[in-house]
Amino acid sequence: MEIGTLILVTLFQIAVVLGVVLLSVAYMTYAERKVLSFMQDRLGPMEVGPYGLLQPIADGLKLFFKEDIVPAGANKIIFALAPILCLIPALIGFAVVPYNGEYSLLGQSLGVITDLNVGLLYIFAFASVGAYGVILAGWASNSKYSLLGGLRSAAQVISYELALGLSIVGVLLLSESLSLKQITVAQDGGFWHWNVWLQPVAFVTYVIASVAETNRLPFDMPEAESELVAGFFTEYSGMRFAFFFLAEYANMILVSCLASVLFLGGYEAPFEFLNFLPGFVWLAIKTWALLFFFIWIRGTFPRVRFDQLMAFGWKVLIPVTLANILVTSIGVYIYNN
Amino acid sequence: MGLIRTIFMTELVKGLKLVFTQMFKPYCTLQYPHVKHEIPDGYRGVMSLLRYEDGTERCVGCSLCEAACPSNCIKVVSDEVPGQPLVRYAKEYYLDISRCVFCGFCTEACPVDALAMTKVYELSVYDRAELMFDKEKLYALGEQFLEDGKAFLMAHHMDDGTLYPGEGLGDNRYHFPPVDESSGGHRPAVVGLTKEDTAVEEYAQP
Repeated sequence: MEIGTLILVTLFQIAVVLGVVLLSVAYMTYAERKVLSFMQDRLGPMEVGPYGLLQPIADGLKLFFKEDIVPAGANKIIFALAPILCLIPALIGFAVVPYNGEYSLLGQSLGVITDLNVGLLYIFAFASVGAYGVILAGWASNSKYSLLGGLRSAAQVISYELALGLSIVGVLLLSESLSLKQITVAQDGGFWHWNVWLQPVAFVTYVIASVAETNRLPFDMPEAESELVAGFFTEYSGMRFAFFFLAEYANMILVSCLASVLFLGGYEAPFEFLNFLPGFVWLAIKTWALLFFFIWIRGTFPRVRFDQLMAFGWKVLIPVTLANILVTSIGVYIYNN
Repeated sequence: MGLIRTIFMTELVKGLKLVFTQMFKPYCTLQYPHVKHEIPDGYRGVMSLLRYEDGTERCVGCSLCEAACPSNCIKVVSDEVPGQPLVRYAKEYYLDISRCVFCGFCTEACPVDALAMTKVYELSVYDRAELMFDKEKLYALGEQFLEDGKAFLMAHHMDDGTLYPGEGLGDNRYHFPPVDESSGGHRPAVVGLTKEDTAVEEYAQP
């Protein structure tokens, strides 16, 4: 019976977390349009539902009913596989994110879908598989724009993945564990114990690298709308296009969630007296604050040229993160003695 | 200071702050189908044919509007009013709104203030044949938007004094000179001048 309740409870957690994530992804599109509009002195979607709140549903239905065009000469299997390869790694990363402190249901203790002791490595491994999806989409479309866009995107993603991975090594040194739950627990103690105060440089480089990872402005050369039509997903239509869109936003939510867990204390409330809100609400607030920052950046900065982008990733971010690791290791050594 | 600016790129923060404050300023969107613009009086909307106070059609079928139209979208077929051999009217009047450019030349050309432009600009239809306006449709528009049409003519100084009879309002149109009965039905060459005014002095020898 133990195994039965375990399976049931895990399925329940998966359903809830996935449901929340997919709903967030859908409403992230709405939030981006609204926030960007307010920054640009206009209103954004207002017609569908009150204040445009049903807009994502209308968008989803529209994409669902669109014709599915496969270009002639495209490799059909890989063409169909690429969107899946983009979306699934983004969603699968949520399996190890601790969304709440310990609570128990049906005799099982919950709080995270599964607490892998190599949780962080698991997430980065799957993010790299996401890069495959991009290259395959660009190549399988049998089109110049897609190929160039796909190659650019792949180059950008693997360059900034290095910076991303290196910037969290500092956090690992401080919490001595790869498990995200242990990292959250190591930041126990309120606002002033969060990792962002001990690792400010790492936080900044993490945010910059994650903006580049998810192909967002100012690093969105691969999907530069006015230059490459739509980059690597030029030839996609209907539901497959929706998958790429979902994948981009799911990736954004995943990196924001990770930033909240690694640097901003995860599900912990900043001050003791704010404990009446449950843990997942705090995680949501922190994640959405970072997502607002993503949209804010999109509304402010012009696009970075591709060679400037690569120069920045390799010649600035990586040395800075390496220096951060050096300083953090020296600091930890001195602190422990 | 320069070093801090180079390392931390502080001008980025300035940009971010500006965009953030811009979020709370009022928007400038006009939410169209729920809120519409205030249309001024001289606005050149869709055409309409007007009538006199007693219901007689103003249009005399002179085809000056057809001649003036740069898009050739008006067609007039005129005929005698049955029972009054010297008075004419437009038996058929077709105006193709889908070709119209709303320039207003036809309303300027009309000598009897029959054509006026209303404030209507929402002309979408599902069947393109509905965009060929015939006489009934134009007179119906004129009846529905009578005040708008009159205001248009007043605003453009095209009125001839018969729009608001008794109110003594503007009379800006050229009037054909009245026929002089004493001269046997011939019109004077210029309004207001008589034979004495046009007499020339005898040439006198120095």
